[in-house]
Amino acid sequence: MKFLTTNFLKCSVKGCDNSNLNFPLRYVRENCQLEQDESIEFNPEFLLRIIDRVDWQAVVSVASDLGNTELPPNKPEFEENLTDEDMVILRDLHTLLIQTNIVEGQMQCKNCEHIYYIKNSIPNLLLPPHLA
Amino acid sequence: MLATPYVSYDYNKVYEPSEDSFLLLDALEADLSWLNNRFNDAVPLTIEIGSGSGIVSTFLMQNGIPNANGLYLATDLNPWALDATLDTCSKNGCKNSHFDVLQTDLTSSIRENEVDLLVFNPPYVPAETVPELPHSNHAVRDDEWLFLALDGGDDGMVVTQRLLNGLDRILSCNGVAYILFCARNKPETVASKMKFSGWKSELVIHRKAGWEVLSVYKFYRN
Ligand SMILES: C[S@@+](CC[C@H](N)C(=O)[O-])C[C@H]1O[C@@H](n2cnc3c(N)ncnc32)[C@H](O)[C@@H]1O
Ligand SMILES: [Zn+2]
Repeated sequence: MKFLTTNFLKCSVKGCDNSNLNFPLRYVRENCQLEQDESIEFNPEFLLRIIDRVDWQAVVSVASDLGNTELPPNKPEFEENLTDEDMVILRDLHTLLIQTNIVEGQMQCKNCEHIYYIKNSIPNLLLPPHLA
Repeated sequence: MLATPYVSYDYNKVYEPSEDSFLLLDALEADLSWLNNRFNDAVPLTIEIGSGSGIVSTFLMQNGIPNANGLYLATDLNPWALDATLDTCSKNGCKNSHFDVLQTDLTSSIRENEVDLLVFNPPYVPAETVPELPHSNHAVRDDEWLFLALDGGDDGMVVTQRLLNGLDRILSCNGVAYILFCARNKPETVASKMKFSGWKSELVIHRKAGWEVLSVYKFYRN
């Protein structure tokens, strides 16, 4: 599962929908195995739109779960003409959001604490019968 | 006419692309420019529920539906379907799209009001019950997965209705859902109920397939 997808995943438990702790999930670093997928090309325009769309708070939170604490607390803003510095930031975000793949891992709801697993890059968010 | 993706998988475990799958492709193709216009400049999030072989998701990515900047997710209950979906996607070379598959029930693990395009060819065959989810990914008889692909309970509508009931919390404000029905689902009644609760409900396409009439409706906000 790509890092970017973490920006769309919440806890499946219905009762957690009324809590604001059900998103983002917490990623358990010790049990997460990451891989970089270099095959996806860097496209600054696409990335700008992605940045516009994502919940930045959640990006920062998941990145720090996974050991990256370098991100600015506020969503970066870019002028019409991208500077060299902007390009460096965008490249970094490309590496993080688009190329980083969580191959194996654990994620936990901050509300109900239910743990979900990622295996072979595929997250399983099904609930056991007593929670469904 | 847009090309149909190449698909090959073990159809004892995963729903084989059929008339319903193809009708859904035709509906999306017919609405291609409508969708392009609607999502013009954005990074739309597309979710296919119950992707089975992956034919529909692959078709969307290959043809830039709803646009060329899309993010795509596909879900299924059946782990073999997720495997098949990844396989179909890579066999057809859709590489540069952002795409992930998730094992989840409908959209229960997707953040609310984020989905721009939702596509669902549901289990729509009227049946006594909706089959229970096989308990583990192992030691499950293959045909259990196929029943899950077909049986839709009362009127074949139980799973679809569950989705429609939650649609307001699933779609983004601009979002649109394409859903496949068979005649025994009483789609006209479903559509007029949806209209009554404030949705635009439009028939996109319909076709006779054997003794069954299949149709695709789209639902979006006024
Ligand atoms: C009729 S098949 C459609 C497969 C494929 N999309 C196609 O058009 O060929 C229905 C699919 O939905 C899946 N499914 C059934 N109930 C589901 C649910 N509650 N959540 C997610 N997927 C479900 C089945 O496993 C099956 O793959
Ligand atoms: Zn929870």
